[in-house]
Amino acid sequence: MSSEKSLPKAYYQYLHELQAVDFVLVELSLYLDTHRDDTQALAQLQQFQKRKHNLVAQFEASFGPLYQYGESQTDAKHWAWADAPWPWQV
Amino acid sequence: MEKGQNVDQWREWDAYYSPFDPCSPRQKYYLIPPDQMTTFQSAGLKQYSPHEALKRGTLWPDLYSPYPRGAKEGTR
Repeated sequence: MSSEKSLPKAYYQYLHELQAVDFVLVELSLYLDTHRDDTQALAQLQQFQKRKHNLVAQFEASFGPLYQYGESQTDAKHWAWADAPWPWQV
Repeated sequence: MEKGQNVDQWREWDAYYSPFDPCSPRQKYYLIPPDQMTTFQSAGLKQYSPHEALKRGTLWPDLYSPYPRGAKEGTR
């Protein structure tokens, strides 16, 4: 039986975009571990950091917290983390 | 054997075939991925787009070395 609240397409688009940006951040971080003076890669990493920050802010504005344990803003009146869907239900 | 996009990374190898070998002769293949060939990754290599990189598992086309899709067990 499907839950009454189905997720909009944008929800998955955001997550897919976030996944791609996160992967680039991982690759660049590993690269920079051994190429610490590559300023071009460092600039690219900072650019992707900003991009990720914006994506997370947009996602959380419309769909609630993305991370647990204080990494996402928490609403003072309502513990949004417990709302469906849980990460494994997405 | 279907070798996928990184054809130039595959090498063939013909082992000695004994007349008493019950199985039919089979050419063997092995893969030399790009990271074996390069000692230190040079800066400023060309990159995939983020979504492409996510799909291929690497940000740099020069280091892309996929396993051929659909290779059944024992056919290589």
